[in-house]
Amino acid sequence: MRSVQMRSVQEIASLVVMLVIIVVVMSAASPVFFTTRNLENTLLDITTVGILAIFTTMLMIGGGLDLSIGSTLALGGVIVGVYQEAWGILPAAGAAILVCGLVGLINGFLVTYVGINPLITTLGMLSIARGVAFVLADGLTIPVFDLQGTQTDAYTLFTQFGEGRVLGLDTPVAVMLALFVLALLVMQFTPYGRAMYAIGGNYQASNLAGLAVRRYRMIAYMLSGLSAGVACVLLTSRLYAADPRAATGMELTVITAAVLGGISLAGGKGTLIGTMLGVLILSALMNGMKLLSTSTDAQNIALGLVLLLAVGLDQIRQRNFNIMRFLRSSRLVPEVARVSPAEGSQS
Amino acid sequence: MTAPLLTMQHIVKSFYGVKVLDDVSIDLFAGETLALLGENGAGKSTLIKILNGDYRRDGGEILIDGQPVNIDAPRDAENLGIRMIYQELHYAPELSVAENLLLGALPRRGGALNWLIDWQQMNRQAHEALALLNVDIAPTTKMRDLSVVEREIIEIVKALSRQARIIVMDEPTAALTPPEVQRLFGIIRGLQARGVGIIYISHRLDEVFEIAGRITVLRDGKHVGTNPRAEVTHQSLVQMMVGRSIEDRAEVRAQSEAITPGAVALEVRGLSKAGAFNTIDLQVRAGEIVGLFGLLGAGHTLLTQAIFGAIKSDSGTILVDGTPARIASPQDGQRAGIGFVPLDRKVNGLVLDMSVRKNITLSNWRVLTRFGAFQRGLEMQHSRNWVDQLGIRMAGGIETHTRYLSGGNQQKVVLARWLEANVRVLLLNEPTWGVDVGARSDIYDQLEALAAQGLAILMVSSDIEEVLSVSHRILTIYKGRLTGEFSQSDATQEKLLHAAAGGQS
Repeated sequence: MRSVQMRSVQEIASLVVMLVIIVVVMSAASPVFFTTRNLENTLLDITTVGILAIFTTMLMIGGGLDLSIGSTLALGGVIVGVYQEAWGILPAAGAAILVCGLVGLINGFLVTYVGINPLITTLGMLSIARGVAFVLADGLTIPVFDLQGTQTDAYTLFTQFGEGRVLGLDTPVAVMLALFVLALLVMQFTPYGRAMYAIGGNYQASNLAGLAVRRYRMIAYMLSGLSAGVACVLLTSRLYAADPRAATGMELTVITAAVLGGISLAGGKGTLIGTMLGVLILSALMNGMKLLSTSTDAQNIALGLVLLLAVGLDQIRQRNFNIMRFLRSSRLVPEVARVSPAEGSQS
Repeated sequence: MTAPLLTMQHIVKSFYGVKVLDDVSIDLFAGETLALLGENGAGKSTLIKILNGDYRRDGGEILIDGQPVNIDAPRDAENLGIRMIYQELHYAPELSVAENLLLGALPRRGGALNWLIDWQQMNRQAHEALALLNVDIAPTTKMRDLSVVEREIIEIVKALSRQARIIVMDEPTAALTPPEVQRLFGIIRGLQARGVGIIYISHRLDEVFEIAGRITVLRDGKHVGTNPRAEVTHQSLVQMMVGRSIEDRAEVRAQSEAITPGAVALEVRGLSKAGAFNTIDLQVRAGEIVGLFGLLGAGHTLLTQAIFGAIKSDSGTILVDGTPARIASPQDGQRAGIGFVPLDRKVNGLVLDMSVRKNITLSNWRVLTRFGAFQRGLEMQHSRNWVDQLGIRMAGGIETHTRYLSGGNQQKVVLARWLEANVRVLLLNEPTWGVDVGARSDIYDQLEALAAQGLAILMVSSDIEEVLSVSHRILTIYKGRLTGEFSQSDATQEKLLHAAAGGQS
């Protein structure tokens, strides 16, 4: 029996190795890759995915899933763009964060109290949020800067979110790191973090142990929405624009990074450090391919391959996959569904 | 005398240098049931897995009909007519009995292409297979509509129809009621009459005495002995399994003075839930263990769930320490001072991929946190305390995930959680299901000690010996109504069974 601590250390170690290999290969292939400038840019580029991934990780460890984060982010951005004049840019930004949190809360309510499957709930919300974003923006990209020149100070401050620097880091990077450290502490040392692992590990047992399972789940969904709100403000500030098409498909990148980093769709497993390594691996890969002028399509294919490869190898390792046994037993025999009472009663 | 159907000789098996089977030999004759007994970890399942080709033996020989055979993979075992009936059955719930029986060999028709299933032929074949053991289940019934015992029987029929000569049953009665057990035994006798050899693994000694011709006991990977049923007693078997003698609990209890329970800790008034239980009134005093005995489905499990708040009741009042408690969820139950040990600890009791420490403290975060963060030292101290007090044993220390604990130790972790949460009332559901004899006795000792410290315990059990030996007072339930109340000195097996079967007491 392998110790579980050992296993997660091994997992993290193999992710680090993977990251190092990609960095070495990319540095060899492109002279630009391993330059301070490129690395800084890459880091800035991953902040959106990174922030979303932190909260997706906490949610998924708790057995949840949120496909609507990309759309929610776009909706938040559009709210900033549409209401920047009427409400002022800073209140609009605050409202965007609140609306995103509300979207998360609705997701959480539908999943925990109404009992709709998380995949379906957030798939529906993915459509709704994106649709509302398009309606509000009239399908157009909205410029976000001081057109009238009446809120100069407020816009100066707002711009700092995307372009300013804190402690020698770009603000978005600093925000991501701060959230990461905070989340790390929460998951490691607080009841909330413990509850995520417990609920994701065994929802029914956690409920019967007297944990407020529904409340914890709601909070996790709400935080997921809020993280999209924070990310949308940083992004809008950086790009000087709000686009209803923003972050299309980003949920897939985020979930890929999380799964690559050892998060299980079934919940209860994985670490934030793993997810962050997943984010770094993906972005190093994507950035490197971009520098080598590979097409976006090829990058997408690579993204998918990395995911399947990583998860596939892990499955094989876990099952002590034996190729000889596999070949011997792979005659064409019909497979009987395996239903045990224990499995049948778990949702 | 003919050669035994199966002989396993001098079997040796080690994992990572640890000998789990050390020179174990058994033989099995056609038409016989051999019981295989031993505590968890004694080597029963390793032995069986070697027979089934799941593991390869390090040494020793397997002979069938006196001929040495090689079993390197499950397929080899299958070809030799060896079949396993596991606790967890594998079947397709939406398909019919006949389809499940013949899956993989469904009769076909449809000319040269042979592309249609010959339903008539299929049902006829299934009917014939069922008739071999006099099973009266219609071949067209869906698997999901069968009871647990019927599914097991179908599995046995399937084994037999595929030329099984040796059938291994691993705890086949774990989820069965007494009448169902009898039905299963009928089937086993049918198998014996057809010359099949059966290896029967169980923790329930009374069943073993009823069905087995000979009994083999393993302990710590060694063969302790094989004896005909007539030559062993309940007590001698337990002694062989545990390696020390366990005093007969009922005798000990009979000698001890009658306990003097304290104030009423749990009171239930007129609790009802349609289709589950009806106007239940009961009281449990501090320091008292009340056994709630009923057959499976009598409503006792649902009753405890309702008291704890895991399910909603329609009407009635629950009082803890004389104060009415509004209980609508498990959180409410816990807050009111009630602990709940569920039926299936792996599914409902434990977070298996969490450590023993975290499982023990799962219901008591408030005390262990300060400024929103766990106080690691304090948490460690609290969980260590229960590990020591309850004697929870695990290979890798307190950070071991509960998945790797034996059934008895897992149950102790669930118990420890509620003690850590400092509850006044403990509701137990079948506390020793799947727990081996030694650990079982350990858990009973703990329950008594806890009661002595003033805990009120309501224990649901369908194991009549358990109810009789542990409870201070026994209630019987039948179809959702309480049908009798017995003091420990009054209660007998006959009386309890009579009352639990709906007879008037």
